[in-house]
Amino acid sequence: MTEATPLISLSTLSKRYGNILAIDRLDARVDGKIIGLLGPNGAGKSTLLKALLGLIPYEGGARVLGLEARTHGAEIRDRVGYMPEQEAFLAGMSAVELCTYAAELSGLPHTEAIQRAHSALYYAGLEEKRYQPIDTYSTGMKQRVKLAQALVHDPEILFLDEPTNGLDPRSRDEMLELIADLPERRGCAIVLSTHLLPDVERVCDHAVIMHHGRLRFVGSIDELRGARGRDTELLIEVKADAAALAEVLTAAGATCELVTLVTLAVSLPTSATNELVFRRAREAGLQIRGITVRRESVEAAFLRVIGDAPAQDATP
Amino acid sequence: MSAPVAPPEGPVGTIHDLGYKRYAGSRLAASTRWRVVMRNQITTSWKTWWRFKSSLALAVITTFIAGGVMFILNDKVVRDFAGAAASTMADAALPKSIEWYTRAGFLVSLTIGARIVSGDLRSGAFTFYFARSVRPRDYVLGKLGGMVVLMALISLAGPLVLAFARLGLSQDTGQLLATLHLVPKAIAIGLLGTLVFSTVPLAFSSLIANARYSMALWAAYYLVFGWMVSLLGRVSKSWIGVLDLATSLDAIALDLFDLRLFRGRAGHLDPTLALISVLVHVGVALAIVSFQVRRAHGSGVGGAS
Repeated sequence: MTEATPLISLSTLSKRYGNILAIDRLDARVDGKIIGLLGPNGAGKSTLLKALLGLIPYEGGARVLGLEARTHGAEIRDRVGYMPEQEAFLAGMSAVELCTYAAELSGLPHTEAIQRAHSALYYAGLEEKRYQPIDTYSTGMKQRVKLAQALVHDPEILFLDEPTNGLDPRSRDEMLELIADLPERRGCAIVLSTHLLPDVERVCDHAVIMHHGRLRFVGSIDELRGARGRDTELLIEVKADAAALAEVLTAAGATCELVTLVTLAVSLPTSATNELVFRRAREAGLQIRGITVRRESVEAAFLRVIGDAPAQDATP
Repeated sequence: MSAPVAPPEGPVGTIHDLGYKRYAGSRLAASTRWRVVMRNQITTSWKTWWRFKSSLALAVITTFIAGGVMFILNDKVVRDFAGAAASTMADAALPKSIEWYTRAGFLVSLTIGARIVSGDLRSGAFTFYFARSVRPRDYVLGKLGGMVVLMALISLAGPLVLAFARLGLSQDTGQLLATLHLVPKAIAIGLLGTLVFSTVPLAFSSLIANARYSMALWAAYYLVFGWMVSLLGRVSKSWIGVLDLATSLDAIALDLFDLRLFRGRAGHLDPTLALISVLVHVGVALAIVSFQVRRAHGSGVGGAS
């Protein structure tokens, strides 16, 4: 992928179902290794995915891998893998048969399809169970099959829709580990549509947030966290008098908030580093017991972004 | 909203990788994907004995019995009760066997055809298909193609074998040439049966997302509705009886092979109207399947927003 060709680019993309405007004039260039697509129910995420796969007509432009989805839908779907939220299996098939069939439907020759089906299922951790009928699988195994069938034709982008839904904590961890490993090992980018913000926090490097059919945020996770994502947001624990430290740091241009008698939340000036804190504390004769960089959780940032505030400019 | 969960300290699972290489070969043209769907349809249907093999066995038995009658009772003449019509067993065996091929065809249409689209609608398979470069027409063509191949093994192959068997009984070249017309006629009636039992149950299966209900609906249409309209047609001496597909196929077969004996319910039908009815059924069925699949395609991926 060249810099000039983003994974996904949208220009005044709109989709209307009757009187309902499902997505409203989306403008964005989306790049990254693992991109979280976030938004409450009805935000327009599924409609956006359908538009990107070229499955529904829309107004405006939607390009995936540089191809316009309206006119190159089939070509895009050959280069994109889709893991749906709901079950999408064929009755009576084993995982190997399903993945082989999936690869052939994406244009791979039969022999290549069989090899890649085994490879994808092995990668997804199904091992010998790949020969059993899918109807007999547990929820975790079915999720793995869904991931394997999305991977089997060697896509350049994977659209994963709620991949950890219904999984127990261990299976969820394993699934997230697989997802996090994919860009490095398979060289594909991932668009992860999910409600589970801890999942996004754990694996995503970029985020797209939608609300009421509009884009509220497009950018990196650090940008999503805004100022609170920088290393200038600190939580400082002192031995005795946090108020005294607050006084000297405020004098140095920092913004301080007393959390407890011995704990202080500090926002340093943009150009400052931890060194400022240590120097001022030493000068004031105060002993610092610990410094933690405060990071806003993705969940808190998400709630802030989709709050009642008017929509921001979507482009970072 | 759940609380943030700290990532586990170490890896919790094992990444299995046999050594990945990006696929650099060419991909098959999008216009050929229907063949993949067709091949899968045939393979899946062949897996279980009760879906296809049992009906195929019925067709094979029919062929053996009709062929045996042809050879053993070759010159035996049969007449109707009034004595007005007569035929040799060799000539009567093929047209009379059609109703048995029709029965076998109906069984396959019930166990496979009437379940295809409804099964896919229920299992979420439309998402599986349409998230790939499979177009609705590829899906319809593939499923239909698969059904046509399976059905042709029953409705077309059997009559064709019998037609060739009849040619084999010819005493001389003159008789052989005189009976040569049986081959295209067997192909024609075989194709009609194949088309009916491939398309009409497929249309029923696209109407309901429950395989059992769509099977029941198709069976009710073919058996119960067919019997009712056939009875109504005989009582009222009207064309309505041609809506009974089984009798219509029988009437066309008997007329094609010019058999005046044992016409039963088919004797009351005008073969031309029967042919029109069969073709209209096929046309309407194709339109319904295409419409339903296209409609499902629009909402097939990702659910409603």
